[in-house]
Amino acid sequence: MKNFAKAIVIMIVVLMVLIPFASTYPDGLEKVVESFGIEEPQPPWKGLMPDYTFTAITDSYLATLTSGLIGVLLVCSIAWIMSLIATHKNKNSESS
Amino acid sequence: MHIPDGFLDPPLCILMYAVSLAFLIWAWKGVKARYPRSFAPLIAISSALVFVGQMLNFPILYGTSGHLVGGTLLAVLLGPHAAVLSMTIVLLIQATFFADGGIFTFGANIFNMAIIGGLSFYLIKLLSSGSRSQKRFLASVFAASWLSVFLGAFACAVEVGVSSMFSSAGSIFVTIPAMLFWHTFIGVGEALITTLLLSQLQRIQPTTLIGLNMLRRVVP
Repeated sequence: MKNFAKAIVIMIVVLMVLIPFASTYPDGLEKVVESFGIEEPQPPWKGLMPDYTFTAITDSYLATLTSGLIGVLLVCSIAWIMSLIATHKNKNSESS
Repeated sequence: MHIPDGFLDPPLCILMYAVSLAFLIWAWKGVKARYPRSFAPLIAISSALVFVGQMLNFPILYGTSGHLVGGTLLAVLLGPHAAVLSMTIVLLIQATFFADGGIFTFGANIFNMAIIGGLSFYLIKLLSSGSRSQKRFLASVFAASWLSVFLGAFACAVEVGVSSMFSSAGSIFVTIPAMLFWHTFIGVGEALITTLLLSQLQRIQPTTLIGLNMLRRVVP
């Protein structure tokens, strides 16, 4: 569990440090669509944090960081729950 | 490489959902057979790691960026079955909360990133072919990571290319060369990051590399 906590902390630090350097250029697919002058259709579902923004926070860095932290939390918990269901019972009686 | 909603025609969406579902069932069964519950934290943290990695775009050239996909990284960390499931969760959260990748196109995105990524495990197996050399392992990881991005981009290019969105712009004859061009470079970024991360993890915490252990065992 200690290693788990350490890993989460490292990830949070990585996010805090690297977000300002994250490139805002379009990614490969977006660039291909752009370069052929094709208009991206408006998606029906924009999500709660579209494009990793967070409407309650105005500062772009903090908004991205917050959405990232929420994402980490969500991914971790849902992945954990999925794993508990997908894996089989521990073969011995040790606590997980 | 996350395909937004509206890019793919409905029949293709349905097809990709069906294809991905077949692989997801394979992955689920594989995990059920091979992994005890104690692996849940490792799977969870690996998913989080890939989520973070995917948020951090790096510039490549001509005003374009790329980001880590992380399929091969997950494959070495978790083995192919768990890697597929892990990436699928990342994609699920991205699609539902961040609209990064569509809901209708979710099946296609799973195929291009989770399945191709997870199956790159077998690419590493093929390329390292039983050798225990560290150099060979890392070289195999490098090549497999690049290939997983390149092949994923190819699949993505075909899917987008055959859709009505691109029918008047030249369809797959333009999407394939264009996607493969950018992802040749993005793939190098993936290969560098993946190889670096795994080599460091191998040094400081080798027990986390479940996939690596699976590679080294004689039993397939």
